[in-house]
Amino acid sequence: MNVTPTEAEEALMAIQTMAQKTRKSIASGGTYITLIVTGIVWLVGFLCTQFLPTGIVGYIWGGLSIVGTIVGIVLGSRMGTRLRSPSTIPMIRRVGFFWLLLVFFALAVIAVARPADGKQATTLVILFIMLGQMAMGLLFSFSTIWWTIPITALALIGYFLFSDIFYLWMAILGGGGMIVLGLYIRFRW
Amino acid sequence: MAELNETIHQPVRLRIMAALMTLEAGSEVDFATLRTLLQVTDGNLGAHLRKLEEAGYIAVNKTFVERKPRTFVAVTTEGRKVFQEHVSALESILKNR
Repeated sequence: MNVTPTEAEEALMAIQTMAQKTRKSIASGGTYITLIVTGIVWLVGFLCTQFLPTGIVGYIWGGLSIVGTIVGIVLGSRMGTRLRSPSTIPMIRRVGFFWLLLVFFALAVIAVARPADGKQATTLVILFIMLGQMAMGLLFSFSTIWWTIPITALALIGYFLFSDIFYLWMAILGGGGMIVLGLYIRFRW
Repeated sequence: MAELNETIHQPVRLRIMAALMTLEAGSEVDFATLRTLLQVTDGNLGAHLRKLEEAGYIAVNKTFVERKPRTFVAVTTEGRKVFQEHVSALESILKNR
């Protein structure tokens, strides 16, 4: 079989491109679902927090969290069937255990720090969620963690500079931003 | 010295092998995902998978997921070895030009 150096170079390029595309596709599968579902939950939840009486906001967040978790698990497990790997089940167990521990640590920090108001508590929760997402990104694919940096920055900017409209800020820029980013990854990446 | 492999060198089959080699050893990907990644038709992909399966480079596993028929594809140990040899052969062509 005769292959010229140009053909060899083209073949190696095709292999490299395909490998990158495959890695990206596997990594982005879960990322865009996480972004869109979390984005919708944040958009609705923070808008309600900004404009509705405090009494019912807790129930709305509770409902949204349950619906968001169920939708995320259903869509995530459907995406998971694209690829079957011997390490999937042990990895799911580890990830589940990690998030459980993170929730425990977040509750412990909130209990110890006793946030002065809802905005402070919300910012702490956002920081813990972003920390968890960053850990997931480092574990699975480095290319999927970059979005946690601007969202964390947005939360901190909103908390320190735009305190009066913090929830609206997080709804539009945080939630809306995540939805746009999720759609971009799904259709353009 | 590493040898070129005619079966693998065909452009679509080369890309199929490259995609499968990216996965962790023992992992398998479903037919529809592979078709989307490669942007080829069902028939075209099926024909190339058959060639690779006949050569023993991939394993095709037809199964049911949630009562729907699904086809999963994985690279075999032999396939990994041959692909790595093919890549080494391509690299040596570039080095010796």
